[in-house]
Amino acid sequence: MESVLALGGLVLLRDSVEWEGRSLLKALVKKSALCGEQVHILGCEVSEDEFREGFESSINSRLIYHDLFRDPLSWSRTGEALPGGPLGALQAMCRRTDPGPFTIALDSLSWLLLHLPCTAVCQALCALSHQHSRPGGSCPAEPVRVLGLLHEELHGPGALGALSSLAQTEVTLSGAMGQASAHILSRRPRQRPAHQTQWFSILPDFSLDLQGGPPLESQPHPDPHTPPVDPTAHVTFNLHLSKKEKEAKDSLTLPFQFSSEKQQALLRPRPGQATSHIFYEPDAYDDLDQEDPDDDLDV
Amino acid sequence: MAAVATCGTGAGSTGSIVATTSKNNVTSFQRKGPRASGTDSGCSRLVSIAGTRPSVRNGQLLVSTGLPALDQLLGGGLAVGTVLLIEEDKYNIYSSLLFKYFLAEGIINGHTLLVASAKEDPADILQELPAPLLDDNYKKDLDEDICNHQTPDSNIKMKIAWRYQLLPKMESGPVSSSRFGHYYDASKRMPRELIETSKWHGFFFPEKLSSTLNKEPCSLTHGYRRLLQFIQKVIYEEGFDGSNPQKKQKNILRIGIQNLGSPLWGDDICCTENCDNSHSLTKFLYVLRGLLRTSLSACIITMPAHLIQNRAIIARITNLSDTVVGLESFIGSERETNPLYKDYHGLIHIRQIPRLNNLIYDVSDVKDLAFKLKRKLFTIEIHTQKKFNLCIEEKNVDYNTS
Repeated sequence: MESVLALGGLVLLRDSVEWEGRSLLKALVKKSALCGEQVHILGCEVSEDEFREGFESSINSRLIYHDLFRDPLSWSRTGEALPGGPLGALQAMCRRTDPGPFTIALDSLSWLLLHLPCTAVCQALCALSHQHSRPGGSCPAEPVRVLGLLHEELHGPGALGALSSLAQTEVTLSGAMGQASAHILSRRPRQRPAHQTQWFSILPDFSLDLQGGPPLESQPHPDPHTPPVDPTAHVTFNLHLSKKEKEAKDSLTLPFQFSSEKQQALLRPRPGQATSHIFYEPDAYDDLDQEDPDDDLDV
Repeated sequence: MAAVATCGTGAGSTGSIVATTSKNNVTSFQRKGPRASGTDSGCSRLVSIAGTRPSVRNGQLLVSTGLPALDQLLGGGLAVGTVLLIEEDKYNIYSSLLFKYFLAEGIINGHTLLVASAKEDPADILQELPAPLLDDNYKKDLDEDICNHQTPDSNIKMKIAWRYQLLPKMESGPVSSSRFGHYYDASKRMPRELIETSKWHGFFFPEKLSSTLNKEPCSLTHGYRRLLQFIQKVIYEEGFDGSNPQKKQKNILRIGIQNLGSPLWGDDICCTENCDNSHSLTKFLYVLRGLLRTSLSACIITMPAHLIQNRAIIARITNLSDTVVGLESFIGSERETNPLYKDYHGLIHIRQIPRLNNLIYDVSDVKDLAFKLKRKLFTIEIHTQKKFNLCIEEKNVDYNTS
């Protein structure tokens, strides 16, 4: 689980109805806050009080909360709502130039996908992830981390595929026997993606407890792939040779292999062997005329 | 005969007669073939541009794609004025490698580059190009690779079908004076001096996105329109379409467009099945092909075809491109553990080869090709060959009678 936070970029937390991901999101937020980073939260699905519930005051003071839940369409003109709506809020985050490590938690990305066009969300996420590499063109000193909570069942394969291709790390939540597990797929640039499965549980104060594996009464896993088919199994002819046959085969010289013995044998006529005969039984229709039949042609 | 009369003193040796003949220039026959170097010939009518060669089949001008194995599959190379579309593999590892090989080949040959991307800055892409391999280094590596590869299985020499042992396995290694295709070392970077002396134009879409506020309704997505305008500007100003004929020597423009069709370009064909502007990408390809046909340029496009939900769009895109190559990598799929594919990293599908000024296709008859990325090189081979080596053994014949 350390690798999830170590790599910068977009981290997708894909959850489902059975295995919810908000507690994992809050656990990761708490971890980043404890490391002393700036944490910005864009809250859309739950109210601010509900999100902050369970965090200690030291952590709560470090979280900068942008509330889109109370007034998502900016109907109240009191000026409290974020200008520009959700897209404006995302773009405002892109323009921040504070130095230092940065974590942005999007709760949730599904809400943004349902309210904004997918392309705008993808472009904003890409701009967020690559934000710190702009100035000077040098490598980013501190990674910008974007944690996005995505409810898998709400979206079609297109949107999920598009976001997966943008993400540096994808954490898919599942589990067995009451134990949650996270399947982590991390893509380092220009390297093969690495898979890892981690069993964990979240404690009441939102700290992460990594565990070894599922409890002992887990179901046996089905064989992941069928055994490879042996094409030589059920043929009607014999493809295997016994040892004696193999030796005989290896010692055989083929007609095209011209060895010196063969050469000598051809040059020297073998004694005692009669010259070859041709035995021919003439048919009833055969014409034994010795003349050349082509003489009849007037060529 | 006049030549002989003038040196009638009987010089004797044929050398001096030939010398006097050429000095007098009495014959009207002049050699008009392409010279060896090709660049300075004023009298030859063939345009010789560095890094190109005419196709042996129909005389079409070809450029190398950066991967000699792929050049061989495409019939010698990529024709100038056409589009090479690469359907990306799932994690975009090998397709970005092919993209970089194409650009690296342009730098080695001195072509002008135009790199467009919506995800990475073109300057960063150019910093990561692979370094070219020198010929003698490659031969050393190839020899030691062959020595390492002597598994017991491959020592079974074919005795009855002995002529098939001489059959090459798709590529025979680099020609020592390979001026057309070059080999690259994927583990090393191209030296900075080479990149800095080359001429390149970059198009990074997020930078252009922020500068416009008004989007007038247009059937082309905003990103595609800007990209087409940029390409057109470069072609016109640099004279690739012949608009500045008195200028310097002709050169090829290599255009590379990365991840076309992804949502980062503003196109939503990857996001939904019934998208609003489903014709945007097809119109882009159509206009792009028109631009390429009228200029000395070649284009490589990588597209995440596995994300496109609507299969009809993929069929249209294939028809609108010239050469289409699909990459399928085994990472994460069940084929990774299949023993048939254990030496390879993926399959390569040649989906379409163009018919340019021609009535027939140039397709090779081999359909099942696989690629692997060795330590340094990208090789393409027929993947069923090894399987046949293992499974075919001679029938149970009694060898003792001769």
